[in-house]
Amino acid sequence: MSIRIGALRGGNMATLTIKNLHVSVKGNEILRGVDLEVKEGETLALLGPNGHGKSTLLAAIMGNPSYTVTEGSVVFDGQDIQALTPDKRSLAGLFLAMQYPSEIPGLNSADFLKAAINAHRQKPLSLFEFYNSLQTAYSDMGIPFEMSKRNLNEGFSGGEKKRNEMLQMKLLAPRIALLDEIDSGLDVDAMGIVAAAIRQEQKRGGGFLVVSHYARLYDMINPTKTAILINGRVVVKGGPEIIKRIDKEGYEWIKTEFGIPVEKETDAPMNSVSIGACATKVRLDDAKK
Amino acid sequence: MMPKNNGLSKEITYVDAIPEKASFLVPEEGSLKLLLASFGDLKDFEIDVSVNKNGMFQGAFADFSSFSGKVILNVRLLGEGASCDWHLASVGSKGEKKSFFTSVTHEAPHTTALMSNYGIARGKSFLAFSGTSEILNGSRKSTTRQNAKIIVFDKTADGLASPILKISENDVDASHSAVVGRLNEEHLFYLESRGIGEEEAKRLIALGYLKPIERYFSDQSLVARIDSAIEGGI
Repeated sequence: MSIRIGALRGGNMATLTIKNLHVSVKGNEILRGVDLEVKEGETLALLGPNGHGKSTLLAAIMGNPSYTVTEGSVVFDGQDIQALTPDKRSLAGLFLAMQYPSEIPGLNSADFLKAAINAHRQKPLSLFEFYNSLQTAYSDMGIPFEMSKRNLNEGFSGGEKKRNEMLQMKLLAPRIALLDEIDSGLDVDAMGIVAAAIRQEQKRGGGFLVVSHYARLYDMINPTKTAILINGRVVVKGGPEIIKRIDKEGYEWIKTEFGIPVEKETDAPMNSVSIGACATKVRLDDAKK
Repeated sequence: MMPKNNGLSKEITYVDAIPEKASFLVPEEGSLKLLLASFGDLKDFEIDVSVNKNGMFQGAFADFSSFSGKVILNVRLLGEGASCDWHLASVGSKGEKKSFFTSVTHEAPHTTALMSNYGIARGKSFLAFSGTSEILNGSRKSTTRQNAKIIVFDKTADGLASPILKISENDVDASHSAVVGRLNEEHLFYLESRGIGEEEAKRLIALGYLKPIERYFSDQSLVARIDSAIEGGI
């Protein structure tokens, strides 16, 4: 048995529209006017050199409070979602598979999944339905069911974390999923499992915005369109043939053909961490603010 | 007090009525499980534990008391192969000022100790975790770890975690970690991005800090009481 939360949402095909989006992190402007659109049923491949804003874009769409939108709009299914908290964006049908999923100490994976699934439902799942859906999802993702008893992402390998992200995507069945380098840290077999999960959601009608550096994943999920993000802006849009060209030639041709120099990787600003004697007090002053 | 004796193994449980001063001796090859739980008023108390060769001390304190005061635990690992596993889960919910002093002294080779202190400070409460792990000269191949974490929920609450390592032997493994701060913003974002509301996300994260204490307790009625106190405390 599988619980299809997203399938319960009826109505029109949702569109995610990003217009002139400017995003800053700790005062540093990372995105400088991004325009993009992805619809349910489409798969948009987003490429670009490291440090040019791909992860920032995905985090900003999902409403990570560490990323400040200074200008522009993010409209999903006809609604400007910038005022929505991340949980409301999730309930609207967005999902972010993170590049570095958080490890949450002490939080049992099954308890977390139950809370997440029930948050998307008016009536909580019965225990029977929950465990059936969980067993199916774990089996589909090739993850031993015993891992549902472990703390969320704690001690998971890089590949296990990525598959766990996709497991959550399957259970929550979003309308549009944002996948941030979901293929990094995966071996060949795991890559096949992740790609199969994406294809299954594509068949269901789900939309995707997929960030990856590698043609291998894109070959397995057949993006419908491509965009390249450089210097905080989308500088090239087109079909999947662009992925092949980047795979062969890198990004140098963008400079020669479009006259756009590729800036060096943006250095993320350092966290302000204060460590007292023998590391006894970390960020206590922040805690009091 | 609910003592359970089984040869060299002993389990003692105190619920609320914790003695102000107590000493325990774990015999060679023996074990002591000391389980403490407090849900109401409490006085300062001090516990001394001495562990002989290959003896094992396991202690847990589920503290949901309303007291302000001082708790002291001193563990001495006297014999080779002696071990200590201590776990504290404490909640300060109003104006309590609680100080916990935990010390372990490694006095023989191949001794191991894990001291874990977790707390949630709410309202105007203050939690202080002071831990000292000392490895004496000659206690080679000993391992000692200290974890102290306090989540400060409210601006009016505060916490202090102060672990100290005193090492007089080269061939040992010693480490400590201490964190006092607000809920991790990235953890909150992760849970919220799955549709879980902020309050529920905070509750789940706090549960993760406190619930591991339950695995030490086998009395299910007491576990249920602790569970209820955790839910009430956060």
